[in-house]
Amino acid sequence: MKYTVGIDLGSTTTKAVVLGDGGEILGRGITNSRSNYAVACEVALVEALIAARFGLVERAMAGLEADESIRRAWLEQLQEGLRLGQYRAQLDSLGAVLAREARGSGLEAGVREIMDALGAEAPQLYGPGTARQSDFFRDLSGSRYRHFASIAASGAPGLFDPLVGLFDKSILEVENSPAAGEFSSLVRAALAGLDGVPGALRGAVEEAAAVPLELAVSVGTGYGRATLPFPKEQIRSEILCHGLGAHAMFPRTRTVLDIGGQDTKAIQVDPQGIVTSFQMNDRCAAGCGRYLGYIADEMNLGLHELGPLAQQATRTVRINSTCTVFAGAELRERLSLGERREDILAGLHRAVVLRAMALLARSGGVADEFTFTGGVAKNPAAVEALRQLTAENYDGPTLNISPDSIYTGALGAALFARRDWQRSLN
Amino acid sequence: MGSQTREKLTVAGIDVGSSAVKVVLFEDRPGAPGAMLLGRSERIRRRDPQDVARTLFDACIAETGLTAADLAYVATTGEGENVGFRTGHFYGMTTHARGGLFLDPGARTVLDIGALHTRAVCMDGRGKVSSYRMTSQCASGSGQFLENICRYLGTTIADVGPLSLEADAPEPCSSICAVLAETDVINMVSRGITTANIIKGIHKSMAGRYLRLLTSAGAEGRVLVTGGLAADVGLLAALREGDPGKAARFTVHSHPDSVFAGALGAAIWGAFRVRKLQSKGVDLALGGAAA
Repeated sequence: MKYTVGIDLGSTTTKAVVLGDGGEILGRGITNSRSNYAVACEVALVEALIAARFGLVERAMAGLEADESIRRAWLEQLQEGLRLGQYRAQLDSLGAVLAREARGSGLEAGVREIMDALGAEAPQLYGPGTARQSDFFRDLSGSRYRHFASIAASGAPGLFDPLVGLFDKSILEVENSPAAGEFSSLVRAALAGLDGVPGALRGAVEEAAAVPLELAVSVGTGYGRATLPFPKEQIRSEILCHGLGAHAMFPRTRTVLDIGGQDTKAIQVDPQGIVTSFQMNDRCAAGCGRYLGYIADEMNLGLHELGPLAQQATRTVRINSTCTVFAGAELRERLSLGERREDILAGLHRAVVLRAMALLARSGGVADEFTFTGGVAKNPAAVEALRQLTAENYDGPTLNISPDSIYTGALGAALFARRDWQRSLN
Repeated sequence: MGSQTREKLTVAGIDVGSSAVKVVLFEDRPGAPGAMLLGRSERIRRRDPQDVARTLFDACIAETGLTAADLAYVATTGEGENVGFRTGHFYGMTTHARGGLFLDPGARTVLDIGALHTRAVCMDGRGKVSSYRMTSQCASGSGQFLENICRYLGTTIADVGPLSLEADAPEPCSSICAVLAETDVINMVSRGITTANIIKGIHKSMAGRYLRLLTSAGAEGRVLVTGGLAADVGLLAALREGDPGKAARFTVHSHPDSVFAGALGAAIWGAFRVRKLQSKGVDLALGGAAA
C-alpha cells in the first residue's frame, strides 16, 4: 500500500500523520523534539507507521471469532508489549552511553545500580491500563533515573548531582541516534511475551506485518522552516497546514486558534480550508504553551497538572505581567503574599487566553465554527477560559476541540502530500 | 547639634533583589567617606526572600562580631520593604545612585543590571538623581535572560564573561524573548556555532539595549555598571565596543563591589537619616534598630 505522510516539527514535539491510499488516516505518531531534527522526524514517522500497522492488525483481527472486548484486550496487550520492548532497547543504549561516560569518574557502581533498577521495574511501567508519566523516553526514563539516583545517593549526598548530570549528558546522544527496531521484530517479541495467544491472532499479526507500506510523498512543516530536514518543494507553511488540518477535522471551521509551544496562531479559513488571513505572536513567549510550561517548572509541577489545579480556583487573580519571566516572578511574589496557588493559576490561564483573544481580534475575530488546536487545547482550564471569553465577545460560536488536535498541522501537511501525489499521478 | 553626631555609626543595608539578597555593614564617619565593613550576597533560588534576608543578615553580624544592638539603622531597598526587622526602606533609584557614587565618586550615571530589570540613573556629584530610565514589560536582555541562556548552553553565569572574550565570530542575535531564546540557542548549537560566539552575540545584543537606555537617559561622563552582571567581563567588553557614535559621550566602568551598590546606598542613606534626626534632637532608638 502506498502512503503519504505529513510531519510537523514543533518546538516541543514532532508529530507525523500517515494517510492510506484512500486518504484515510492510517496512523499518528509523536515524539519529543530534539536538536537533531532529522532524527525527531524519523522517530515520529516510525511511531506513526507502528500505529498504522496496529490499525492493520485490528482490521485483520475483525475476522477472528472472539468478542470485541477480548480482541481489544489482546490488541492492548500487544501494544503495551511492543512499547516495553522499545523502552528496553532504549534503556540498553542509554546504559551503554552512561557506562562509557562514567568510566573513570567513580560513578560506575552508582550508574550500574540505577540501570539495574530501571531494567527491573520496566515491566511494571507497561501493561494494559497502566498510567505512565510520559510516553517519551527522555521524560519517562529521566524521572525514573532521578528516582533511583536519589536512592543510590542516599548514603552520599554529593553523589546525586553528578549522577543526574551524567544522565543529562548521555540522553542527548541516545535520543539523537536513529530510532532502533521495526514493527515486525518488535511485535513478534511482544507476541512471544503473551500467554495463550490463539493461532488466529498470530496470523492476523503476521498478515498486518507483511503488508508492504511504501512512501509516496511526504510534506513537512513546523517552526524554523529553513532548518527543516526536508527538500524545499516538500515544505508547506505551518499556517496553511493548520488551516487545512482543522478543516479536515471539522469541515465547518472558519476560525482556527492554535496554541503551540512557541507560537500562537489565529487563522481565518474559507469553506475549503484555505487560509484567508492570520495573525501570529512575534518574538515573545507570552500567551504560548511555553508560558504555561515555564510556570509549571517554577511550581515544580507537570504540565498536565496545571489545568486541573487551575480549575479548583475559587477566584481568578489578575496577572499584571505580560512577560513570561516576569509572570514567574509575580507568581512567586503572590504566593509569598499568601494567595492561593489555584487562584493564581486560574489567572495565568486567563492571561494566556487573553493574549490569544487579542490575536484573534486582529486576524478578523471569531467566526462560527471555531476550532481550537495545539498542545494547549488539551488543557481544560485554558479551554474553559477560551469558551468563556469567546462567549462574552463573539456570541458563543461552536467550539471544536479534537482529542487529536495536537496532530492538526501534521494532518494538514499529510493532505498536502496527498494532493501532490495525486497531481503527480495525473 | 548633639554630641552623638560626631561619632561613627554602624549601619546595615539590605538589598532584596529578585534573584539575590545583598547585605552590607557600613561604618559611617562624620566628615569622611566611611567604609564598607562587609558585603555578602546570596542567591534566593526559589526560597522565601524574607528568610534568606534574615539568615544572611544574622550571618553578617556574627561574622563581624557585632550584635544587632550595635546597629544604628537597618535600611532596606529593592523588594525589601517587607523585611520585618528593618528600620526604614529606600527606593532603588536613590540607593543605587548613592551607592554607585560611593564606589566611584567620578561616576555620574549608574547602570544597574538586575535579574529582571535594567535601569539607568543619572545623578549629580551629591547623588541627586537628575534622570532615570528603566526597561519594562519584557525580560529580554535581563540577568535572568542571560542565566536562562547559560542553562540552555550548559554553562554558568560565572563562566560566560571569560568565554565571551574568546569569541572570534560573534553570532548576530536580535533582542529575543528570554523564554523563546531556548529554541534560538538550540538552533544555533545545531548549526555548529561555538558557545563563545553565541554568548558574545547575546552580550552584544544586550549591550545594544543598554546603550540605547543610557542614551535615552542622557548619560554623560563616567557610567558605573552595578548589579549582578557588573562582574561579567564579556558584557562590559560588549558595552565598551558598542556603537561609538552614541557611546562617545560616556565611558563604561565597573567596580569589584558593584553588586553591593544598592545595599551600600541604602546603608548610607540610613546613616544620613540617623544624623539628620539626631540633629533635630530625635533619637532613633539608637542601638535597638534590629532587635
